[in-house]
Amino acid sequence: MTDVFRETAAQPRTEAVPLSHLSLELGHLYMEDLADGRKGLRRHFERVRPWADAARADLAARTTGGRPRMSTCFLVDDYFSRFSTPADLLPLVLEEAERAGLVIDYLARESACAVADKVPLAQAVAGRLVESPPPGSYGARPPVSESGWLANGQRSPAGRSPQAMRRAEPWQPPSETNARRHSVFVDVELWDEDKDGNRTWSCPFLAAVWQLARLGLLRNEGEAVLRPRDASLGELPVEWDELPPLVRLNADADPFSAYRTCSVLPARFLSVEHAVRVILDQTDVDTGAVAQISRRTDNERQPMPGSVVERVSYVFYPEP
Amino acid sequence: MIVFAASDKGGTGRSVTSANLAYQRALAGDDVVYVDFDFGSPTAPAVFDVPDMQRGIENGGLHSYLEGTAPEPARIDVWRRTEHPVLRRTPIGAGRLVLLPGDASGGEFVTDQDSVHRCVDLLLRLNAEFDLILVDLSAGRSYAMDMVLEATAGRELQQVVSRWVVFHRWTRQHVIAAAGLVFAERGLLEGGAERGHDKDALRSVIRFVRAAVPDPDSALWSHLSPAQFAWMQMYDEKLRRLAAELGVGDSVLLGTVPLEPILQWREQLITEEEVVATQIANKETLDAMEAIARRLTEDTHWGQP
Amino acid sequence: MTAPPDTAPTVLACGEVRTCVLPSRRPLDSDAAAQLLQLRADERVLVSKRPNLYVLSPQTLTGVDCRLPTANGAKVRVVGTVAVRAALTEGRILQSSAYFRTPAQGPDRRRPWGHYLIRPGVLEPLGRLPESAAAQGVLAGGRPGELDLGLIADGVLTPLVRHPLLDQRAPLKSRHTRLRWAALPADPGQGPAIEEFTLAEDDLRTVRLRVPAGTEPAAIAALCEDFALHDWLLTTVVRLLDGRLGPVEGPDALTALRPAVEHLMHLWMPRARGDRTLRALWDVLEHDPGFTRQWDNLVQRVRDRLALLNALPKQPVAQPARAGEKT
Repeated sequence: MTDVFRETAAQPRTEAVPLSHLSLELGHLYMEDLADGRKGLRRHFERVRPWADAARADLAARTTGGRPRMSTCFLVDDYFSRFSTPADLLPLVLEEAERAGLVIDYLARESACAVADKVPLAQAVAGRLVESPPPGSYGARPPVSESGWLANGQRSPAGRSPQAMRRAEPWQPPSETNARRHSVFVDVELWDEDKDGNRTWSCPFLAAVWQLARLGLLRNEGEAVLRPRDASLGELPVEWDELPPLVRLNADADPFSAYRTCSVLPARFLSVEHAVRVILDQTDVDTGAVAQISRRTDNERQPMPGSVVERVSYVFYPEP
Repeated sequence: MIVFAASDKGGTGRSVTSANLAYQRALAGDDVVYVDFDFGSPTAPAVFDVPDMQRGIENGGLHSYLEGTAPEPARIDVWRRTEHPVLRRTPIGAGRLVLLPGDASGGEFVTDQDSVHRCVDLLLRLNAEFDLILVDLSAGRSYAMDMVLEATAGRELQQVVSRWVVFHRWTRQHVIAAAGLVFAERGLLEGGAERGHDKDALRSVIRFVRAAVPDPDSALWSHLSPAQFAWMQMYDEKLRRLAAELGVGDSVLLGTVPLEPILQWREQLITEEEVVATQIANKETLDAMEAIARRLTEDTHWGQP
Repeated sequence: MTAPPDTAPTVLACGEVRTCVLPSRRPLDSDAAAQLLQLRADERVLVSKRPNLYVLSPQTLTGVDCRLPTANGAKVRVVGTVAVRAALTEGRILQSSAYFRTPAQGPDRRRPWGHYLIRPGVLEPLGRLPESAAAQGVLAGGRPGELDLGLIADGVLTPLVRHPLLDQRAPLKSRHTRLRWAALPADPGQGPAIEEFTLAEDDLRTVRLRVPAGTEPAAIAALCEDFALHDWLLTTVVRLLDGRLGPVEGPDALTALRPAVEHLMHLWMPRARGDRTLRALWDVLEHDPGFTRQWDNLVQRVRDRLALLNALPKQPVAQPARAGEKT
């Protein structure tokens, strides 16, 4: 029997997005990276090149049937500090990439991970955090006071003043949930707020949003977000806000989002990316989006890790 | 409606009187909950004659709830659980009478933002369910008082009618103490204002109850010598003037509970039975309890036309 | 929405529904209701206007790692997520609902959290699950430290109740009711069945069901939310009539009856929506004890009393003011 009467507002739906096999991040540019001009960029791309080749070779070896689809991307920070202009900086980045034999397919602004096209992505992801329960969690509400932080285990009990005539509990160490015997406890600051309640998202949190975008797992009310827009080098704006959140620089590029991601980053990003994994491991991504990807990888006979965090990989190259 | 029962000193009969007020309101048909925020001395179950819990309940009482170790505070249905022979027969037409006890071994504790949060949630929940919430607070300037002042200053409870009843005995020291609790530095008004209450608005919802007041005209004092009688009357008048000077005079008086011998021996609910059948309690006491209970909701007694 | 890849068939689904009146003087319209139930910024609140106004929040998750209550004391540790959602019917009755399903068997040790997150609403046992004992255990309620679905449902309800949209001035005093349910698989070829519907303690109801393999727990939850809503209506109106109204006459009775007439009478609409196969289970309750029969009877009683009150000569009856009323 089929439904005769339907209400569209009462039916959930999820828009599908095109997907590559791999999204390769060629870099993450902060103001300090430009301290010695284009030389820093040149060094970076030179170091990235061999790993990019390796990633491509690895993908080709593992892709069964059909052409391997891979897109590259590059992220520029315009959230924590503003420097240069798109019109000045982007040609420089592209030149140096090309010089190293690399093609940047997509370029994103870091602030797009906070709000893209008026959609508050970071806010939405924050609403999807589901904390990994330490053993003994039977459903009690976690205390409100620690909001804005996310740990990979149980914190040391707070030093609450005991009731009158009762002794204070002695100190207890924090513990990592599901640790292998010994804990590596991490507590990640997701945001801070000024006295007016304006929130600044932390770098790991925005990086986690960035990973979810690259994995094709972000939706807003079922609709795709952060759609890439084409931009030509001749018409780049002088204000970062006027640059689309995600720009497609290569007209022939494979889709931006992919089943898996790989990021080639200097080794100093290791702690940030550890924090990203702590966040991703506790993010309840859009169910419809996950299901779409599962169906497609099943059809393509691509083996896929079950959890989201395992779809993310890194190459950390040593500096200098 | 929420009624907070406060007192500056112990031994004012605050707990036993407010328990009686709760009982009277339930008899009149209201659904009533009695919330024991007397954290240092959680003894409300004894007043309601609830067995096995003469001193609060083992775990899962209000201490545990507010400290975040129990998800919901335990509830005791007084009509069902009491061993008081009269109370066990739920009177026809009576509302519910529910007790939220503290933990048996609970003590005073420092309240924090989380406990204020939980306090708000609790009061909202109770307000949806009960006609009258009677909250018995620890004596003096206490963490309990801080917590409820902060809780009621928040947006959530703004639309819920709250009233304060301050209990004191009818002695010079107690009158001064009661005035101090409300008007002095770090008192109820100032503490409330600090937490965001409007001082005048708060002041307008505070009334006083004089407890254990000896009435020279009552039979209890019939053996007094004329000199003693005269002294009592003179001193009573003097106290009245003092009370008026200190802002706790007749204009903010909700009621007077006469000195009741059985309450001097045992904190308990005064029922019709004790007055009529066994005649161990005085009718005046019962009348006073009934009158104060009624006035809790009569706006004319709260400066409203 | 399609369920994510699954590991094993469900052998047990359980849930708990909390039902209460929205603490607001006026019922919320669909826009305000959608705003209230926007539990996630990026997911749509579902709004349905036929045959009545029904607004459903996105599903959220709560992680647990604890023992499951069992009737025989067997120790079963489960890890995973409990699904929670909230619904508002006719802008007046607020419900929160927590539920999960579980396969017969799980790995011997806890897996990385991401494994559980892509199986929303699934609790995996460590080892084997004694499903019948667990079903009975959940219905009976656990001991301290064991899975507490009511608490999880409350975790969603409590912040909703303090939402700025609500003025905390509900038209009537009423209790929260709790309805716990457990569904075991029906024998192959058999349709769904209600094995037991119990009015337990004051505010607790328990329902034991059998459902065909592959029945979505969300659909069972929806059925039980529908049960809970109508049971709440019965419970609340019975209390209005039998509680303090027993001996009370005159204008006071009118004051107490009014909210029932203005805010509750029109809410009765069993099986307004939901899975067709499961909706048929309403027939069982309509036959015995006869939910709608009792409701019709209550409505008639309210109407009769109102008619009587109108017919009687108006005479002022001295009654103490009610604590709940602001004059």
